[in-house]
Amino acid sequence: MSPGSESNGNLFENLRLELRRGCLVLAVLAELRTEQYGYTLRKALTESGVEIDEGTLYPLLRRLESQGLLVSEWREEDKRNKRFYKISRDGKTVLKLLQAEWQSIGLSLEEIFKES
Amino acid sequence: MDLVNRYLQAVKFWLPAKQKDDIVSELAEDIRSQVEEQESALGRKLNEAEVSAILKHHGRPLLVASHYLPQRHLIGPVLFPIYLFVLKIVAVFYMVPWIIAWIGIAISRSAHSEQSLLVTLASFWTAFWPTAFFVIGSITTVFAVLERNQAKSKFMEQWDPLKLPPVRDPNRIPIANSITEVIGGLVLCSWLIGGMWYRTIFHFSGMSITLAPTWEYFFWSIILLTVIGMFASGVNLFRPYWTWTRASVRLVTDCAGSVLFCWLMKANILASISVANVPESKTAQVANAINWWSAKMFPVAVVACVVILGFDVYRILRIRMRDGHSGVLNAASGAC
Repeated sequence: MSPGSESNGNLFENLRLELRRGCLVLAVLAELRTEQYGYTLRKALTESGVEIDEGTLYPLLRRLESQGLLVSEWREEDKRNKRFYKISRDGKTVLKLLQAEWQSIGLSLEEIFKES
Repeated sequence: MDLVNRYLQAVKFWLPAKQKDDIVSELAEDIRSQVEEQESALGRKLNEAEVSAILKHHGRPLLVASHYLPQRHLIGPVLFPIYLFVLKIVAVFYMVPWIIAWIGIAISRSAHSEQSLLVTLASFWTAFWPTAFFVIGSITTVFAVLERNQAKSKFMEQWDPLKLPPVRDPNRIPIANSITEVIGGLVLCSWLIGGMWYRTIFHFSGMSITLAPTWEYFFWSIILLTVIGMFASGVNLFRPYWTWTRASVRLVTDCAGSVLFCWLMKANILASISVANVPESKTAQVANAINWWSAKMFPVAVVACVVILGFDVYRILRIRMRDGHSGVLNAASGAC
């Protein structure tokens, strides 16, 4: 790989991560319509094609909970204490709005892509 | 699991006090789930290297903890360019003159005492760092305080586009500069002709100062250069844009002026001083000391002249680049 294409590759990777970062909140809120704990949530997201590392997921969950979009509780499962997260009522409202916004952005981009 | 506990302990150290236990419990659960999954896939316990690989994937403890901490900075991205700008200004207008002055002192001290130049410079170096740290530290502290109060002050919201400075053209000559140069030239010529025409430049109440015979050459040369400079400034006054010709004239006159000035420093220009009731040997000592100091300041004069000539050369290069650029634009518009 030439130095130019390598730097282009890095640039693409950075832009891709930036693009996907904006979708993570949406993906996490949608996935937590069903109660899950951190590890299973991460696996579910990965299986759906949204890769997220632990260092991003757990702080994000805490932030969403502090914003009132999620609720959590510590519960024992398989003889181990786990923190289960679920979307709150406010979270559901915000999720609907974000979904509409997401679809609107998608349509707008499709239009732009068609024009170009 | 000792390795996992060691890892969790390292992460815990950096976490916010109120959330330490909660975050570490969740992180521990995630790591243990990963370990268990791999163990069930392999059908055996993971060895230390395999656990280490999982922890390495999680990231350095400080980095992991940093994701849970609020974003903080001493000087934020808004103020940082201003902070850098202030540091550069201080470097140019405070530190550099300070260094030049110290080098001058070091040279003269080494000439007077037994102390070698190297030892003197070393003492300067040790004196330089506390000053540099104090200056940079003070500026950093001021900006850190500004950063903390920036949100409250609404400095970024309260501004008026109408108060923005006009577009700066580096090739435009400010009229104030040209007027100052002309007036300065007139004052210098008047002073030279009125007070420095003869070699005895001062004769009052029993005291007289006489210059060396070479002063005559300096006198006429300075007059000539000042008149040329005044003429060029007069032209600049009515055509306030640098052209290649005028910038070159400025370079040539500054070159000649620099040579003259540096030569004057080394020329032992002060021939004698005489004061009533003061022995001639004493006044000769004073005259010699002034000439000696003047000669010792020669390197400083050279540095100052080189800086001035550097600016002149940069100005010519800038004009050439501008002319080249407009030539390309003209060619392009002609082609259209």
